[in-house]
Amino acid sequence: MYRIRFHGRGGQGMKTASRILGKAFFLEGYEVQDAPRYGAERRGAPMFAYVRASKEQINERGIIRHPGLVVVADESLIAVPAAGVMQALRSDSILLINSMEKTKLWQDRLNFKGRIIALTQSPSGKGWDEMRFIGAICAGGAARLAGVIQETTLTLAINEELAHLGSDVVQTNLEMALTAFNELKNDTGIVKEGKPVRADDYRPPSWIELSWEDPKLSAPAIHAAATSEKLITGQWRTMRPVIDYSRCNRCWWLCSTFCPDGAIHLDKERYPQIDYNHCKGCLICLAQCPPHAVSAVAEPVAEAQKREGE
Amino acid sequence: MISAFQRLKDLPSSHILGSGTPMCAGCGGLEALHEIYDIIGEKNVIVNAAGCMTLLSIYPFTPFRGSWLYTAMASAPAGAQGVRDALDILQKKGEIDTAEDLEVLVLTGDGSANGMGLSSTSAAIDRNLDFFYVCYDNEGYGNTGQQYSAATPHAARTATSRGVHGYPGYKKDLFAIWAAHRPEYVATAVGAEPLDLARKIEKAKKMKGPRLIIVLSPCPTGWGYDPQESVEIGRLAVKTGIWPLKEYEDGKVVHTKISRPRLPVEEYLSRQERFQHLFRPQRDEQLLAEIQNRVDAYWQAIEGR
Ligand SMILES: Cc1ncc(C[n+]2csc(CCOP(=O)(O)OP(=O)(O)O)c2C)c(N)n1
Ligand code: SF4
Ligand code: SF4
Ligand code: SF4
Ligand SMILES: [Mg+2]
Repeated sequence: MYRIRFHGRGGQGMKTASRILGKAFFLEGYEVQDAPRYGAERRGAPMFAYVRASKEQINERGIIRHPGLVVVADESLIAVPAAGVMQALRSDSILLINSMEKTKLWQDRLNFKGRIIALTQSPSGKGWDEMRFIGAICAGGAARLAGVIQETTLTLAINEELAHLGSDVVQTNLEMALTAFNELKNDTGIVKEGKPVRADDYRPPSWIELSWEDPKLSAPAIHAAATSEKLITGQWRTMRPVIDYSRCNRCWWLCSTFCPDGAIHLDKERYPQIDYNHCKGCLICLAQCPPHAVSAVAEPVAEAQKREGE
Repeated sequence: MISAFQRLKDLPSSHILGSGTPMCAGCGGLEALHEIYDIIGEKNVIVNAAGCMTLLSIYPFTPFRGSWLYTAMASAPAGAQGVRDALDILQKKGEIDTAEDLEVLVLTGDGSANGMGLSSTSAAIDRNLDFFYVCYDNEGYGNTGQQYSAATPHAARTATSRGVHGYPGYKKDLFAIWAAHRPEYVATAVGAEPLDLARKIEKAKKMKGPRLIIVLSPCPTGWGYDPQESVEIGRLAVKTGIWPLKEYEDGKVVHTKISRPRLPVEEYLSRQERFQHLFRPQRDEQLLAEIQNRVDAYWQAIEGR
């Protein structure tokens, strides 16, 4: 049985990814389950979706415990304990991460024995712009790694699952999914089917007795201020606000007052500076700047400009 | 008392609420919270009922600089009582210095404030609990997918009012309900009017006893509009007269910003997906007129014309 888990944030399309992959397995003659799981149902919150596929009847229910493949759309989730990305991975599990970082770095970082594949810079090398299509990209990658899904089947599944979004959207998603599908050609079929779990095989967990501890020690207390700044919400952005300092008249820092995320501070000369690690790209600053000094640049374009500048 | 906030230039130019929170991009509630936190400061314990803002603090991450306590939806004001008592006892025992005293600040959504949490709020005001209450009003159960709450406006489409006329009920007048308890201070505000908001927080901060504030919180996710319009939508709520900015003090209600002339309510409604059924496929003249008339009647009673 194939057991595959997709991790992302609400709004990133992991439910769609699981539906596309599930449909593709189904069209290949598999019995399939696919379901999303939300912690807090809100855009940006960690969630996951999973797919089981088997030629035999599937008796398992509930969330997947030992996935053969884990696909991560948003690398920032790996460090979030509540997201459970690394939960119950085995040394024969495969981890596919959509990441700007190289595979080697993830291997060092995670101390994980299994195979890690980083979809560096996303399939076409264009960067974050494709976050909008990341659901299809992840489904395409997973289909290739499973190895039993033909390109025509994947195409059909995407057409059916995304039909309600209109043909243009379907077309772009299809291109993205197939780029990922082709990119991973050398790894066709590396995901192994897991054995079915039988009730007879169930062993109760070996509990570890924890003795009573003073709540002052055992309660999950946070001892530092504003630790949320460790989370890089800048990755949510598809458009980047850019300030044209020749136009900014250093007004009464309206952009900084209105920015919901507190991502704009004033420098010594009282010019506003945007903290791109945390700016989510809502573009309120653009809408509210009186002299229209803020413009929006698509992330991949901004990234390319930055690289050229360096 | 002359406010320190006379012009926009008087607003804080640096911010103390941490970035990196999981709130949606363009969240009007988060915008208001960071404006409030800048003025109220970090010397407080926040008591937070379940809702979008509980996700601000997910161990080990928090945007706050002080303590934070999570309670069930109905009981944040009761939690605040416990924290207040604990602080008082610690001071009495001399375990903390009076200079180390903290303000207790309840933070809940409208669902909690208008519904499950209303009786515990009422009781806390009755006991004259010394606390601050900030209700961020996104007019629905935002965290669970925008079902209607008792603060949902008439005709708004929500996940649980999907019919052709939207939500059949009327937004509860929480300001009037709170004020009827005759607490120290009650106010309404919106992040899009930061000066008005700053003055109210500044004033309430100097008082003792129950001080409650409802902040309209435009919600791109639940209301259906582009995140960059959050401030504009909040401003239109004030300019159309839909969201009156006011405060209650010493038995009197004073309106702190009166829009003249008032814009037609349509200018606010038509920009949000949750009211689109009032405009498409055809205009629902009857409902639009009803909403306009209610707003006009409110202001007529206030302005006597
Ligand atoms: C007693 C109880 N019922 C239901 C829930 C589920 N729940 C969590 S958040 C939420 C919505 C709260 O709405 P509101 O107070 O307006 O806050 P918002 O989510 O809009 O920020 C609900 C219903 C709960 N936590 N507790
Ligand atoms: S785009 Fe939004 S989050 Fe980014 S700096 Fe502007 S207001 Fe802040
Ligand atoms: S709102 Fe515009 S003019 Fe004012 S400080 Fe920001 S960028 Fe400069
Ligand atoms: S659902 Fe609305 S209130 Fe909740 S975080 Fe998102 S924008 Fe803010
Ligand atoms: Mg709400």
